[in-house]
Amino acid sequence: MSDAKCGMRLQNVRKDFGKVPIIHGVDLEISEGDFVVFVGPSGCGKSTLLRMIAGLEEVTDGSIEIGGREVTDLDPSLRGIAMVFQSYALYPHMSVRDNLGFGLSMANVPKDEIARHVAEAARILKLDALLDRRPGQLSGGQRQRVAIGRAIVRKPEVFLFDEPLSNLDAELRVSMRIEIARLHKELGNTMIYVTHDQTEAMTLADKIVVLREGRIEQVGSPREVYENPDNTFVAGFIGSPRMNLLNGTIAGKTIDIAGSTILAHAHSLEGHSAVIVGLRPEHLEVVTAEPCTLAATVDFSEYLGGIGYLYCQLADGQTVTVEQREGEDYKAGDRISLSWRPEKLRLFSADGARIRP
Amino acid sequence: MTITTASPLASIARPRRRASMRQWTGILYVAPAMALVIVFFVVPLIFTVWMSLHNWPLIGQPSWIGLGNYTRMFSDARFFSALGFTAYYTVIATIAIFALAFPLALFVERQRTGVGFYRTVFFMPVVVGLATASLLWVWLANVDAGVFSSILRWFGITGRAANILATFDSAFALIIVMVVWKIVGFTMIILLTGLQAIPADLTEAARIDGANAWQRFTKLTLPLMRRTLALAFILSITGSVLAFDQFYIMTSGGPQNRMISVVYYIFNQSFVSFQLGYGSALSIALLGILVTLSVVQLRLLRVGDER
Ligand SMILES: Nc1ncnc2c1ncn2[C@@H]1O[C@H](COP(=O)(O)OP(=O)(O)OP(=O)(O)O)[C@@H](O)[C@H]1O
Ligand SMILES: [Mg+2]
Repeated sequence: MSDAKCGMRLQNVRKDFGKVPIIHGVDLEISEGDFVVFVGPSGCGKSTLLRMIAGLEEVTDGSIEIGGREVTDLDPSLRGIAMVFQSYALYPHMSVRDNLGFGLSMANVPKDEIARHVAEAARILKLDALLDRRPGQLSGGQRQRVAIGRAIVRKPEVFLFDEPLSNLDAELRVSMRIEIARLHKELGNTMIYVTHDQTEAMTLADKIVVLREGRIEQVGSPREVYENPDNTFVAGFIGSPRMNLLNGTIAGKTIDIAGSTILAHAHSLEGHSAVIVGLRPEHLEVVTAEPCTLAATVDFSEYLGGIGYLYCQLADGQTVTVEQREGEDYKAGDRISLSWRPEKLRLFSADGARIRP
Repeated sequence: MTITTASPLASIARPRRRASMRQWTGILYVAPAMALVIVFFVVPLIFTVWMSLHNWPLIGQPSWIGLGNYTRMFSDARFFSALGFTAYYTVIATIAIFALAFPLALFVERQRTGVGFYRTVFFMPVVVGLATASLLWVWLANVDAGVFSSILRWFGITGRAANILATFDSAFALIIVMVVWKIVGFTMIILLTGLQAIPADLTEAARIDGANAWQRFTKLTLPLMRRTLALAFILSITGSVLAFDQFYIMTSGGPQNRMISVVYYIFNQSFVSFQLGYGSALSIALLGILVTLSVVQLRLLRVGDER
């Protein structure tokens, strides 16, 4: 903790498996105490990146610093990290107590001190009653708490989580998520968390790192990546249902989408012949037909209670999802017009990069 | 009246009939296996017990002598020396096999280039019959034509052509080497399955917890392989206790008859001295010893109480 500014720094980190490059030069800075979430589609290299930080996977090129200390080639146990695995990875033949204390006993910490640390972790995670059980005698949620407890006992600078909640049922996920958030507040450590789950990412993160095919697409707060995506990939990946991304062509100062003419508002269209228009379902509104609205035909509608979704088609077959909070019901085949507030429109070039106003 | 009493009875009888049907199907399924066990294990066992209670010459009338064969055993010095030699052989062979099988299993567990080749090569001798292997090694150890003799001479270890099978120690060492060569691949495969059953996550968690390779082996790998180890030990020990071919073929009982294993002794009593009753009694005693050894091992390795 010598360098309070830097929780972690990755510089041009690469990883090849054999001849196959998997991580293509990742640069990332994480301030101390941040809760950072890695998201991305399956196989994009989230786990690989996390495992390189942990030291379980060798780095092909580049360097990793933790707490201002270069750790690129350091043994995992000396990096000041602790990791929570998706499978929990508890030692099945040891009691919960021994699982928690294993790391300390490997470091030759005196017995009474181990007992003290274990007791403290058990108190934080409410594991006191379970200390003498074996992992096999615990529920999934309890096992996950033990796995987190084992990480706490090590008193790491950085916690690493690889999809820690994905083996739990929906209800338990929510409560464990809240528990992890509480833990972060209580301990104040840097945490790196890999997940598929949008809700986990949005609720837990100070900073979201969106990865695709071994490259960072965007780093930002949940609000930034949601409201201000750098490209169509991030725009489409963050948010559910996903943002509508509509292909349009430039016609002078306006954009033509499937025969409807819409305004580019503050965006400059200079140098583009085609663009991609991004509109989130909740920003679309069904209006009476007027100029500069998007004409669509309802394919089918879903009512979820409170909100509903209209799945529509444009004249050229592109699909649009509309979120409806109120208003009348529409049936398949109904022709509607869609409008939005100008500031909600996001514009991207044909190759996916954001065009900012 | 008759109708009213009959109907409840019928409703009870129907489920009972269904349950017994299910029982019969179950019995049908295990019947072939049961038949094999009964014909090839239970019946011979009972017959052996029956024989062991008789003075049973190969030709002539058997005569009932009760526990005579069993009491005779306790004053049979040659039986005890056979037991002693078998125990010695079992301990040495098992240690030698495991000392090599474990490193080999660890070696072929990793995904490395040519790992399939190594596994095959290490396993190959297993498919050779023990008797065949013994004959092969007798030939290899032959004074004049054998390879070992020339190699020893080449390196200047022995001055002239050496007869490895002529002295107890060198013959015993040769048999141990042969058995290790023959068996180690099998034990390796068993240990390999046990190693592969340990999730990689556990090893990685232990690495993060700061356990070095040796600590991971002793505190994680070994305890998690208890069942596999029990299986490998029981197979290895049982195999060694029942050793016969190698002593019969390679040394014919060894220099000064010092390589008579228990099975060899039983064979001698039964088919050389034609004392089938006594041979049977010895076999039953050996069975008792093996069962005891296996139970003790299962206890020691605490197989069963886990998870
Ligand atoms: N040991 C390995 N050898 C070869 N390729 C590997 C290895 N481990 C991972 N990969 C490859 O690296 C890529 C990234 O894998 P990784 O496990 O990091 O993905 P991920 O983002 O964690 O995916 P998921 O969300 O499904 O867990 C994948 O294409 C995978 O096939
Ligand atoms: Mg993963």
